[in-house]
Amino acid sequence: MLSQQLVNGVLLGAVYALFALGFTLMFGVLKVINLTYGFYFTAGAYIALALADYGLWLALPLAAVGSGVAAVVVDALLLTRLRRTGAPELASLMVTLGAVLALNAAMTAWLGPDIRRFPPSMIPATAFALGDTRVTAAQILIFVATIVLVGALLSLIRLTRLGLAIRALASRPDAAGLMGINPARTAAIVSFLSGGLAGAGGVLIALSSNAIQPYMGEEMLLRGFVVIIVGGLGDIRGALIAGLLLGMVETLTAGYIASELKDAVGFLILVLVLWTRPLGLFGRAIIRRA
Amino acid sequence: MTVPDWLNDFLWTYQNLINALGVNGLLALSMYVVLAVGQLSLGQAAFMGLGAYSSALMTVQLHLPFPLVLPLSCVIPVLFALIIGGPTLRLTGVYLAIATIGLGEVLRAVYLNIDLLGGPMGLNGIPESAETWMIYALLATATALLWVVGKSRVGRAMEAMREDETAAQVMGVNLWRYRLGALVASAALAGLAGCLNAHVSDFIGPNEYGFEPAVTILSYALLGGIGTPLAPVLGAWVLTLLPELLRGISDIRLVINGLIIVVAVLFLPAGLFPWRLRRG
Amino acid sequence: MKPLITLAVALALMVGTARAETDIAIGAVEILTGPASAYGIAIRQGFELALDDVNKAGVLGGRKLHLFVEDSAGNKDQAINAARLLIGRDKVVALLGPTLSTEIFAVGPVVNARHIPEIGTSTTATGVTDIGPYIFSTALREADVIPVAIAAAAARGAKNIAILYANDDAFSKSGFDVMKAAAEQHGMKVLATEGFATKDTDFAAQLTKIKALKPDAVGVSALVEPVSGVLLQARQLGFGPETIFIGGNGSNSPKLGEIAGTAADGLLVGTPWAAAKPDPKNQAFVAAYREKYGKEPDQFAAQAYETMFLLAQAIDHSGDATPDHIRDALTKVSHDGILGPFTFNASRSPASTSGVVVLVVKGGKFTVQ
Repeated sequence: MLSQQLVNGVLLGAVYALFALGFTLMFGVLKVINLTYGFYFTAGAYIALALADYGLWLALPLAAVGSGVAAVVVDALLLTRLRRTGAPELASLMVTLGAVLALNAAMTAWLGPDIRRFPPSMIPATAFALGDTRVTAAQILIFVATIVLVGALLSLIRLTRLGLAIRALASRPDAAGLMGINPARTAAIVSFLSGGLAGAGGVLIALSSNAIQPYMGEEMLLRGFVVIIVGGLGDIRGALIAGLLLGMVETLTAGYIASELKDAVGFLILVLVLWTRPLGLFGRAIIRRA
Repeated sequence: MTVPDWLNDFLWTYQNLINALGVNGLLALSMYVVLAVGQLSLGQAAFMGLGAYSSALMTVQLHLPFPLVLPLSCVIPVLFALIIGGPTLRLTGVYLAIATIGLGEVLRAVYLNIDLLGGPMGLNGIPESAETWMIYALLATATALLWVVGKSRVGRAMEAMREDETAAQVMGVNLWRYRLGALVASAALAGLAGCLNAHVSDFIGPNEYGFEPAVTILSYALLGGIGTPLAPVLGAWVLTLLPELLRGISDIRLVINGLIIVVAVLFLPAGLFPWRLRRG
Repeated sequence: MKPLITLAVALALMVGTARAETDIAIGAVEILTGPASAYGIAIRQGFELALDDVNKAGVLGGRKLHLFVEDSAGNKDQAINAARLLIGRDKVVALLGPTLSTEIFAVGPVVNARHIPEIGTSTTATGVTDIGPYIFSTALREADVIPVAIAAAAARGAKNIAILYANDDAFSKSGFDVMKAAAEQHGMKVLATEGFATKDTDFAAQLTKIKALKPDAVGVSALVEPVSGVLLQARQLGFGPETIFIGGNGSNSPKLGEIAGTAADGLLVGTPWAAAKPDPKNQAFVAAYREKYGKEPDQFAAQAYETMFLLAQAIDHSGDATPDHIRDALTKVSHDGILGPFTFNASRSPASTSGVVVLVVKGGKFTVQ
């Protein structure tokens, strides 16, 4: 059983990490608690559902692009004004909260609250067994995708000019403008990346959990908080490690201590980390706290 | 003089709403005190839960009389605030907000898993010992008190902290004392609100004190503004009445609710009621 | 000429308002928006389908029932406000709902104190009718239904059981308590009990733990979405047909097959109603529902449908459509419909559990065992 539980933990962790990637990017660079992130996650899944007939490998990128575009539009509408007037952080929290309330409700009114799943043809339901341990194709896909995306993001940030612009925007937004970086354009690109990551995450995670419903993003958001805080805001590698850690701790708590505590243990960790190392376990957050 | 039938009916129909306006006003004040010192603590819902559960147990299990239960309902929330205040108040901004939300979720897990607290079924059969006038008396008193404090030296110190903490510190404001004081006051107010709510609605459950209620309470202050103690209360009244006023269009009710928050934050950053306290 | 026209108009107006005045107002509080709205909407559809029939003949000599519906959005405060609006402003003589057991615990005392009869059609937790003499329930309690499914599992040779349940939801926890007690009563050893949150989508940790214990049967008490998720993941982790899965009340929904598909095959569910029940009244109901709403009815819609007929009968027998007389008439009501012969027992819950059947999922669809 232990081997299966360890595998369970890693796979669950990959889900959390995948969700957190775009979230931490948004937070770390644009310093926004962007609650609409949950909406882009959900939107990605629904877009892919609409395109399900074209198969996974077309639906997935299209859904990511769709979510990315939605993110650019919504973020521009909501956040540019706040950025210009230098509003406090909680203003972005509130405005995105209001927006996600409205968006989720609108989506429910349009698509109905019923839970849906992707057609089984979209991904083979085969499970691979290695001795006593079993893994499904969808879970492997999520794991691989997470690693690939982490690698791609890190390369982007470290090795490209765009990445440089992003890092500049994150650490010294005023100076960045003076250095010839177009902050509005860079912010839009970050929105697009963040939304796209959210959408891709939504598709992949919905493939595995078979649960597409208008509020699916909300459930993930709270876990998302845990991962990005523990990993450090804006820290991509931190998000990966923290995600895996959270998945492992939750699974092992449920498996060996008490399943009733599974959901609370994440928050306990969150609070303890905030009390002791608020910059995250790795203290490498792009921005300084405060 | 007897009360006319139509008035009786009106008051009965809207009794719960009238009570909720009062309770949410208290919660808005509980949010105000921490925002007034520049602290984004989102623990009000958690404190409310502690007040609600402890007072419900006092009434149902210990059979204490309500005039005793009401003030005692502040005790556990305040104790909790003192215990967590130490490590938590070192955090600022978003980190503090997330920490308090995390604590609220941990508490919710506690309520869910302890049988004495009813678990997911919650506690029902709480006698209706609280009355509308009590709620409003407390609300008026608290508002007046906070108004007086706001106009005093203490109020000036709080405003200084809100604008620029470092400068305030240089001027001799003991940041730590004010922060903890604000948290304790917030806990007491929310605890009272929880006790009153429990004793007018017979029934409480763990899902009433989680993330969503915490965010709702924040929205009272953000919509109303925090220039004066009255502003967040008015914000609470607007947001409490809104779902009821929009009942006719239930499908898009939540959409409108959300849009109102968006518009308010984008175009009314100081809140709907931006007037500030004038100080002598 | 003019006076004639005036007279005609006046007469027409009188008849018009007179007809409206004889309508009897009844109310329903249900969850129509938000995450749990699927249940509330199904319930409202059940009411309205039945009303079409009831109002053909009307009650008390042709008077029609007018249903006012208010949304609680799953929120305790709004549920109470909704009930007060219906009673105080719309002056309903009887109230139906609310959807959730937690809501009726908040709303019931208010309605009961006002002496308005209230019927919960979906509130299955224990203690609902204890709220007061005006509170009725047409929903069979979990305690009446689950043991039948457990007995079926025992009859198939299950000697032990592990139980999974949503520990953050009153309905699921209530069902879990019943499952555990019933299992013990049938001589089954309870090997493990594992909890999860209703909104969870990952149950691998709990399922792996259970699998290692090799139980004969696995009970799942939760709403249909997590139950489907559990079943899907269970198959992925290697649970085969030799393990008997038993569902609680929440599993009895066409959504189970939609989401879980063949992963749900073999699941046993006890229910007081099934779309598959072959009697002509039931088949007529299913067909009518399908035609009007374009989807299959579930247990919520069926129980709501029946309840409307019961209420109509009680209003008819009350003689004057006043709340107190309706309440008294309700206690004596008797109706044979899609739930089988129905009367209330002394504590205002369904008297008979003889209509309970055990369903088995085959090919993603419910069939009678």
